Amino acid sequence: MKKGFFILLATLLLLPLLAESLWAKVYIDIRSPSFRKFPIAVSPFKAPASPNGDLKLGERATEILNNDLTICGFFALIDPRTFAENTVRGQPAGSPSGTGQIPGVPGAETIDFRPWANIGAEALVLGEVTFKDQSLTLEARLYDVVKKELIVGKRYIGEITDLSRMVHRFADEVVFVLTGEQGIFQTQIVYVSTATGNKEVFLMDFDGRNVKQITRHQSICLSPRFSPDGKKIAFTSYKAGNPDLYIKDMRTGEERRVAHFPGLNISPAWSPDGQRLALTLSKDGDGNPEIYTMQLDGSHLHRLTNNPAIDVSPTWSPDGKRLAFVSNRGGSPQIYVMDVTGENVQRLTFEGNYNTHPAWSPRGERIAFDALLDGNHNICTIQPNGSDHRLLTANLNRCETPSWSPDGRHLVFSSTREGGPHIYLMDAEGTRIKRLTFQRGGDTYPNWSPRLKQ
Amino acid sequence: MLKKSSVWLVVLVAVVAIAFIATGCAKKQVVKEEAAAKPMVEAKKEEAPAPAPAPAPAPAPREEAKPEAPAPPPPKIEAAPVVEKVAPPDLRGLRIQFAFDDYNLSTRSKENLEKIAGWLSKDRAAKIQIEGHTCDIGTPEYNLALGERRANSAKKYLEGLGVNAVRISTISYGEERPMVPNSDEANRSKNRRDEFLQSK
Repeated sequence: MKKGFFILLATLLLLPLLAESLWAKVYIDIRSPSFRKFPIAVSPFKAPASPNGDLKLGERATEILNNDLTICGFFALIDPRTFAENTVRGQPAGSPSGTGQIPGVPGAETIDFRPWANIGAEALVLGEVTFKDQSLTLEARLYDVVKKELIVGKRYIGEITDLSRMVHRFADEVVFVLTGEQGIFQTQIVYVSTATGNKEVFLMDFDGRNVKQITRHQSICLSPRFSPDGKKIAFTSYKAGNPDLYIKDMRTGEERRVAHFPGLNISPAWSPDGQRLALTLSKDGDGNPEIYTMQLDGSHLHRLTNNPAIDVSPTWSPDGKRLAFVSNRGGSPQIYVMDVTGENVQRLTFEGNYNTHPAWSPRGERIAFDALLDGNHNICTIQPNGSDHRLLTANLNRCETPSWSPDGRHLVFSSTREGGPHIYLMDAEGTRIKRLTFQRGGDTYPNWSPRLKQ
Repeated sequence: MLKKSSVWLVVLVAVVAIAFIATGCAKKQVVKEEAAAKPMVEAKKEEAPAPAPAPAPAPAPREEAKPEAPAPPPPKIEAAPVVEKVAPPDLRGLRIQFAFDDYNLSTRSKENLEKIAGWLSKDRAAKIQIEGHTCDIGTPEYNLALGERRANSAKKYLEGLGVNAVRISTISYGEERPMVPNSDEANRSKNRRDEFLQSK
């Protein structure tokens, strides 16, 4: 993806015996109904003064890690300042007073865990960032405070711009080793922004950092969607005058127009195997929007819906066997599901008279959508059998176009609650809403990437 | 449909006749025809505040009759009656509105489309693009689909009036190009519309 990307040098101090027992142990049973947030403390990362001046690398790394661990929802972060004065001296590796070279690997036996245990932490992260000779090194370790053991330690080396990626990568290690599940910190979000005056596709890290403009069509770009391998996006653009469908390779930047039938070529949805797109075309039947599938080169075009009403916005079930979509065949836009053959159409939503933009969750157990309730847009979820309708965003302004995190525990969406619209993140229960975008202009159509393996 | 087009033909013939009587000057025929045509068609509307159906070029008291932008210059190819170059009506003023989440044509919308068809039947070389638009309620993808249906509703009606489909193109912009900011219901209602543009 980028030259000189950091390489993982070493996994430090994982004694084989210890390691075996660790892989077996899950500290946090995040699937358990009695799950409680796991108390963890992040000691401020040390950052020896760089010859280039104070880059605040330690503060930045600490902030990114704290933010990651907070967002994921598994942890109760314990503020190290709660025991500040009296224990700084007894805090071996986490002390911000360290200078010079990377110290020798601190064995767990050299760390005084008592103050951390006293403030309730069951796990502790100590870390250090150094920038020297144009090379950035991040070392971080996770300790079991109760057992006084190292759980995992990593060292990453790269460029100065890799800091947040290194931290995200370590955060993924922390989540994996403590929960047994993959984290979501090495993911990105594509969205549409009017920051340039036109609607262009933008990209950012899942936490809102590293914003990048992806398209320069100077037109209207809409509905960017990541491929299941995260290497491409499909989107609609009016670049050539008509709403046509494009696929862009995120590595090479190469762009192909894959559907340009007369009328609409919109709402792309990648099949879970990445081989096909479901999309909406209006080329047949007097310009009526219908749902089709096709291969990425535009071949094997199959029409799935055949109804005089509007059919639009397909989304695949994770097993690739069914599609949810929007139709107004019942008189108002509602969410329907059908087999990938177009058969067995069933209406899912009956609450409210305006339900659109379905997004099937990665585990398949819920479908998020946009519901117009009392004149305001809200995000709701429902089970694919139509039961258990839940309203996630009550009393917020215009919450639209939900998209799931790859672990199905979070949603991004756009909202005008603070002007904008801007992109927001929340957990799948609708709590802990966090704003991600702060550019000028409006940000809409967020789409969360799969996990991006480096 | 048949009945409608015959009504419309009668109107057209009347318009041409009146225009012919009203002016002996072939040069200005086109311009006069335009001015005269408006009150005639307007007069069909029951709710129109009754402009005298006389051939007097009284401007119809509707938005489309706002003091004509630069009066169309007299046609250059005056003598050649082979391909009549007819000045287009005020296409912006003929934009049509829709109810929320709806693509059915109102009586007034149909009347506007009949005016456009009248022009297209005279200027056989003219082509038109219909843009379908929506307000910002609803999700952008659904609104693209809705705008497409709105554009195609107008297209079908024009086809029913005898306009060849190849002369009509459509495009949906959904909620992407509002005419006015979607700040309140009055404005949103203005944005639920089809716009007409002369295309090449």
